[in-house]
Amino acid sequence: MSIIKKIITFRPSFTLRILTGLVSILILLSVCTFIGLSDRTRLNVRAAQFESRAIEAGAKVYYDQCARCHGANGEGVEGLGPGLASEFFVGRIELVRDEMQQQSIRVVVPSERLKQIGWTGSLRDYIIAVTESGIPVKTSNVWDVNHPTFGERYGGPLRGDQIRDVASFIVNYGLNPLPNDQAILPPAPGEGQAARPTPVPLTPEQEAGKQVYLAQGCAACHAIRGVGAQGAIGPNMNRMGAVAAERIASDDYKSKIQGQPPATTPEEYIRQSILYPNAYIVPQCPQGPCQANLMPRNYAQVIPPQDLDNLVAYLASLK
Amino acid sequence: MAFVGQKLIKQIQTTGLKATVAQRLDDAFTRFTAGLSWNDVRGILRGDPPPKPNPRVKPHTEGFWFHIRPTFYHEAVTTLYPTFRLGLLSALFFTFEIITGIFLMIFYTPSPTYAYGNMIDILTNVPFGKFMRDLHRLGAEAMVIVVTLHMVRTFVTGSYKKPRQFTWFTGVVLLIVTLFLSFSGYLLPWDQLAFWAVTIGTSMADAVPLIGPELNLLLRGAPDIGAGGLLRFYLFHVVLFPLIGVIFVAVHYYKVVRFGISLPPEMEPVGEDNARKVPPEKRVPFLPDILTNELMYAGVAFAVLAVSAATWYSAPLEHHADPLVTPNHTVAPWYFYWLQGLLKIPHMIPFLPTSIAVEVDRFFANVFGITPKVFWGVIVGPLMFLLLFVLPYIDPNPSRRYGDRKIMLSLGALFAAVIIYLSLAGIPTGVPITGFGYVGGDPASEVGQAFIPDEGVGPVRRLPYSQYVVGSFPINADPNTGSAGLDSLIRDIHNDMEARKVRPDPLGRRLSAEATGTLEVKQIQENLRQVIITINYTDEAGNPTQFKKYTFLHAGSGYAVE
Repeated sequence: MSIIKKIITFRPSFTLRILTGLVSILILLSVCTFIGLSDRTRLNVRAAQFESRAIEAGAKVYYDQCARCHGANGEGVEGLGPGLASEFFVGRIELVRDEMQQQSIRVVVPSERLKQIGWTGSLRDYIIAVTESGIPVKTSNVWDVNHPTFGERYGGPLRGDQIRDVASFIVNYGLNPLPNDQAILPPAPGEGQAARPTPVPLTPEQEAGKQVYLAQGCAACHAIRGVGAQGAIGPNMNRMGAVAAERIASDDYKSKIQGQPPATTPEEYIRQSILYPNAYIVPQCPQGPCQANLMPRNYAQVIPPQDLDNLVAYLASLK
Repeated sequence: MAFVGQKLIKQIQTTGLKATVAQRLDDAFTRFTAGLSWNDVRGILRGDPPPKPNPRVKPHTEGFWFHIRPTFYHEAVTTLYPTFRLGLLSALFFTFEIITGIFLMIFYTPSPTYAYGNMIDILTNVPFGKFMRDLHRLGAEAMVIVVTLHMVRTFVTGSYKKPRQFTWFTGVVLLIVTLFLSFSGYLLPWDQLAFWAVTIGTSMADAVPLIGPELNLLLRGAPDIGAGGLLRFYLFHVVLFPLIGVIFVAVHYYKVVRFGISLPPEMEPVGEDNARKVPPEKRVPFLPDILTNELMYAGVAFAVLAVSAATWYSAPLEHHADPLVTPNHTVAPWYFYWLQGLLKIPHMIPFLPTSIAVEVDRFFANVFGITPKVFWGVIVGPLMFLLLFVLPYIDPNPSRRYGDRKIMLSLGALFAAVIIYLSLAGIPTGVPITGFGYVGGDPASEVGQAFIPDEGVGPVRRLPYSQYVVGSFPINADPNTGSAGLDSLIRDIHNDMEARKVRPDPLGRRLSAEATGTLEVKQIQENLRQVIITINYTDEAGNPTQFKKYTFLHAGSGYAVE
């Protein structure tokens, strides 16, 4: 108790007050001097950190909003969007840091795409402009849709900072871009007319199957080019017939199928996938690896047998 | 012919140049100190006794700053006890906040489009920017603590009693101003922390009976917080509340000087107030003793703040505000935890069965037509402040002595205990041991939140990029990833999962015993990886369920050093 009493009745002497005050001011000044001398470097380090975090935030936006058309690895999706990670699009960059720790991007190989379309600004500005306001006209009919407007002020879902973040993320592909032959490249404006395959006329069964496809809500998750099906939850059905043929021949399918005998024809595979979606889980979906239990398992009860046959015929015809 | 320098020349001619310059400088010095010559100040600094007539009271009559200060204090109030200098410190921090605040204002635009970018600019492009922001934030937190302690001290020493009732009243106003200043500053960075804390806060205004929606609209400028709300909070923060603060500090301090600082209770006869009757031998002159004392406190306080801001303290800045994404475990600022706890009443009163709590809710709804949230948050919360306001007017006991105030001091301690208990219940983890007030998702999502929190860093982001190995690893007690850091992280996740399997959370939920987890690291770009935690478990209804949470990690994001 007496110690407490001593402390609370303590009255510092005049000298002690002056000394303590002076020492405090000295500490205060030295802290300020230290910060003043070292702040430039630390500002630059922090600027690089925040740019890194912008790339992280941009990655999240990319996977939420962009990956379904531009691909999970920036490789592009046929008919939906070009590969942004391709060297053709991002060029090649490297990061340089000076002795003050200031970080900047040096363009080693400029984007060919910008040259092709005659954009005079930076790649980053181009990405921001297109993401924000979209492309109002279709530059080539290899694409099913125009680039939508993503900016909030054009009715899209993204704020300005998110768009800047996603631009940082895409520009960052330039450190190690995909070789051009591994990505879908955008044709020059006005070109690409011939790139679209000539549609094969559907048989009446297949046509009926297409209507089943649309009526049963398949389109909400599985995209098919040119029929208004734009779902991006499950794999697309653009080449379902061909994919099914490849799949039944693959070792992955044969070794992982569960609870059902392996299909021997593409039609059987498609039917099996509709009725028993968990029998085999496809590795890649538009938003990352495909997941079990996502697709309803009651189509055997929901789709009448005749409709199911037509649907299978329709999907098998897509090649 | 007379001209301006005539007198000066004459003086130089008669007394010489050196003496004239000395005399003129001393004149200027005396004008600056409002009445003290250089020799007077030297005498003060040397500790000489004051000459007669005493020139040291002159600044108190001549100058503005000294005239608002008394010329002497009673010896008994110049020790640490009874004031602990908390009032002085409150005023110092208020000034400190104004100075650092003006600096920050220069770089700030109160608009959702720019505010967050301004914050990043302050941190990455403004010399002293981070330092000033840290100081401002730290000073604000310190000010809330100091102002609260100042009130506690005034209560404990009974200094709110006659004749100081109104001083106490203005003090409670200043406490509220302090809280509101701090709270209104919360929104300005326009990050997730800001946005959701203020959304919670203003939603309480929405619950006010009769005028709630209108009040909410006035505060937010729109049904939800947006550009209008940010501008309003900015103006509250930099104009309205500081103005109210300055006005009430003036009134408060006038009353303090008018009645004197109250003496320690044991020094006064019961019911009397002797603060102004200071015998000459007990007088401690303001100049130099009190002034040097105060300057010392100012120096120490500011040095402590500066060293803290330069070393361990860093004001948080979370992700950009996003009205569409509510982070898990959103909380009010710590000084409003008690209010958040209050909203969880009566479901967290110890030993009260839930059925009774539900009945209490129903009772309020039926009898008063209000929800429990309205009752506890909007009626009881402000009533606690009302209680503080009227305290000096309803306390019938004239004695300030501790021995005579056993009941009041016990009530005060009880009040403090209740506030602390409510504060603990207000945070998501709830009260320790009992878990009252616990808020949490299912155990798997809590594992995700523990390792990849929605906001803040967390263990996954804290582990440096270089410590991650690309691949998919089962979460078990003996990981072998080839990286010591990643192994240790996986072990931590494993231990956390095992603990949640054994020990139920306060709501009685456990992670199902067979739950397994995977940690996957994917290379997204050359210097960007994605870390995904997947937990497969059985939910309460018995269905196999998968929980997944991921984050991106860039080689240069520097979370590890934060």
